[in-house]
Amino acid sequence: MSSPNSEDSNGSNSNASRTANKNSNSYQDYPMQNHYRYGDVQPEQEFFMDNEINDYKELKESIMKQRRASDLLQGHNHHFVDHNSLLRLPTEILLQIFHHLDRKDLFSLLTVCREFADLIIEILWFRPNMQNDVSFKKIKAIMELPRTQTHWDYRLFIKRLNLSFMTKLVDDNLLSLFIGCPKLERLTLVNCTKLSHTPITNVLQNCEKLQSIDLTGVTDIHDDIINALAKNCTRLQGLYAPGCGNVSEEAIINLLESCPMLKRVKFNNSNNITDRCILKMYENCVSLVEIDLHNCPNVTDKYLKSIFLDLSQLREFRISNATGITDKLFEYLPNEFYLEKLRIIDITGCNAITDKLVEKLVMCAPRLRNVVLSKCMQITDASLRALSQLGRSLHYIHLGHCVLITDFGVASLVRSCHRIQYIDLACCLQLTDWSLVELANLPKLRRIGLVKCSLVTDNGIIELVRRRGEQDCLERVHLSYCTNLTVGPIYLLLKNCPKLTHLSLTGITAFLRREITQYCRDPPPDFTEAQRNSFCVFSGHGVNQLRNHLNQAMEERAYHIEQGDIQALFQERRRRFMNGGGEMDEEEMNIWARGAGLGLLQQNVLQNNEIQDINREIFSEINGGRMAPDDMREHFQRIIRQRHHQRQELVQRGQSQTPTQVLQAHQFQRNPQNAPQIVQPAVFPNGEQSIPVINEDEDAEMEEPGLFPRQASS
Amino acid sequence: MSSPKVIIISSEDERFPVDPKVAEKSVLIKNMINDLNPDGLTEDFEIPTPNVRANVLSKVLEWCEHHKNTTFHEEEDDDTKKTTPVEEWDKNFLKVDQEMLYDIIMAANYLNITPLMISGCKVVAEMIKSKSPEELRKTFNIVNDFTPEEEAAIRRENEWAEDR
Repeated sequence: MSSPNSEDSNGSNSNASRTANKNSNSYQDYPMQNHYRYGDVQPEQEFFMDNEINDYKELKESIMKQRRASDLLQGHNHHFVDHNSLLRLPTEILLQIFHHLDRKDLFSLLTVCREFADLIIEILWFRPNMQNDVSFKKIKAIMELPRTQTHWDYRLFIKRLNLSFMTKLVDDNLLSLFIGCPKLERLTLVNCTKLSHTPITNVLQNCEKLQSIDLTGVTDIHDDIINALAKNCTRLQGLYAPGCGNVSEEAIINLLESCPMLKRVKFNNSNNITDRCILKMYENCVSLVEIDLHNCPNVTDKYLKSIFLDLSQLREFRISNATGITDKLFEYLPNEFYLEKLRIIDITGCNAITDKLVEKLVMCAPRLRNVVLSKCMQITDASLRALSQLGRSLHYIHLGHCVLITDFGVASLVRSCHRIQYIDLACCLQLTDWSLVELANLPKLRRIGLVKCSLVTDNGIIELVRRRGEQDCLERVHLSYCTNLTVGPIYLLLKNCPKLTHLSLTGITAFLRREITQYCRDPPPDFTEAQRNSFCVFSGHGVNQLRNHLNQAMEERAYHIEQGDIQALFQERRRRFMNGGGEMDEEEMNIWARGAGLGLLQQNVLQNNEIQDINREIFSEINGGRMAPDDMREHFQRIIRQRHHQRQELVQRGQSQTPTQVLQAHQFQRNPQNAPQIVQPAVFPNGEQSIPVINEDEDAEMEEPGLFPRQASS
Repeated sequence: MSSPKVIIISSEDERFPVDPKVAEKSVLIKNMINDLNPDGLTEDFEIPTPNVRANVLSKVLEWCEHHKNTTFHEEEDDDTKKTTPVEEWDKNFLKVDQEMLYDIIMAANYLNITPLMISGCKVVAEMIKSKSPEELRKTFNIVNDFTPEEEAAIRRENEWAEDR
């Protein structure tokens, strides 16, 4: 019996699949691979925008393909080589060896002999390293030489070009150096804001192998670019052009007609993306897995309905601010598990949709991982109950500005979907500390957004921290405009969350003091004076500095407690309180508090004495630890309930109160309206974003104040 | 009767009877066994490997024997695969002369024993690391076929790769 031919099992599967068979990985028509052996199944590949993960595999495929072609042409001229020589190993194995080496070692191998050089030059220039200043400039210098004066014409080797790492150095002249790279497959220009459309258009000439282009952050996206893609790059699979507002409807349609292999498209912020474009997409681009139409207000559900019916391979869908998106979006779908692959859905600011749409969505796509429904003002707890059926699938949920939702909705969602890592409930004004208690039960939670949830109090934070325990996995916490918060609970949060890299406390009076804001990062340059004054966001090292500062202050405080003086004070206060009161000696307390560097006490003049007293008590419990855990839990729950009742009472009684209480109630109602609006944060699929996108921080991106609430008029 | 063996035959017609479990470390052999014996092995099964010499085959089978109970992670994350060092036993096992090392790698490649092939490649990579071009030529018996001018130009134009 003969040994199996490594090629016969794969011989038939490449070109046969070039029909529009949407479930197979069609358009990768590499011929059969040597390393796919008898019986191996070629794994289905998903298409992503440029990333380095597949470099080795794709490089190997292309080199092997090329070598086989030249072997066929010239006949296999394996001249005799020494048995001891590395050169007798076949290309495939040499590539495997080189895979374990870094660039520096490859550079040494480069000049060893011609055979190595021919191979290594392809590896090095496959993706020229433009990631740091030094190599960027060296590569630039080489590209500036006339191509006949270099040993090789390096443009012939470049297949991946990513200029997103040194965007300040990327201008029209720089990009023009890369005109004439015929084998270019991936072009990534994220945040290259200085570029105009001309060099981009020119680089695309003759790039018939281009698979993806990422123009995120490029400002001058012009019809010329889109038409050049349509003309030259008919194998295009990925196009991110979020800033395509100036591109005409005709150009978009031209592109969609010319590039039937498109799998991922992103057209944002454009009035020219119309139902005609969607129809063209539906008719022509049957392989789409990602459609991103953020802020394309003229798109309606007219043809999107058909897309959802026929492109069941769709994985990611995003749209926002489109009034024509209604509950009918999924009406063609059967009432069953249909959108098998759909993992990410983002329907932001589409006010026509209601709970009905969400209920249908969950029925058809039970594997959803990311759900964004922010600014869909009609969403209620019913949607949250529907979403709770996603169970462990759900990892990411954004419900910002869904003002109708309540603690009950949050509770039912969180109790079923315990794998949530990211939850944003900004401006859900009805939420109280109860929601925090529920959130405490999410073991994988990394990010909480509660901006402007102004009913949230210290006790909610304390309870969250206490229940989550030490060494918590929280990384980002947004509490801006939760105006009732004070320093103490935040100290506990910092203490128990060592991974915290972001903490936003903008607009909370208790933190707008020099000793705290000194660690806060700089406000964005376009902020007004008023916005600057209330800005209070800690990130990265700033979080650590704040933690250290508060730690130190607390240690000093602990010293006082150990000395007994503060303890005696507490006892006395407690006794007096139990006996029905009498005035308390605030002054003494405040002297101590100032001495300890804590704003905790002296800024609390706005709060009533009982709350203040309770806060102190919680602190001494946590620091002193005199209560058993169960007692403590009960104790704090009582406190939270009590606190909540007080608040409600306060709101009801409104203006007819003592000056202190009026002030407090006033602050409590007023601040949410004055606080700036929060802009939708970026949603990253799978976390596989390899390009550093400009960090969009929710607190940093604010609209003019006074826009809220909007829903009253719409 | 004892359980059936897989008999692997070297280029010199030397026969190596081994347990199916050992032989199946080779995906090539495993697939052949499964395809040609859909109901499982009932008798000894011969597999000729006409491009593998006996001394190499015996080494390869020694490795398979040692690792017969090891489970290798199939599709490991490429980066971890790339950086994890060669395990100690493999390292010692591969302390052989260059000719044998290359033969083992090529046999492992042909027989589709990926973990052995990768261990071998990593050992070679270790031999390459931190050497100058001249040292590399010496280590691997390679003759320099560049002119000094060419060599200088190539180094100059690719200097960027040396950084970091």
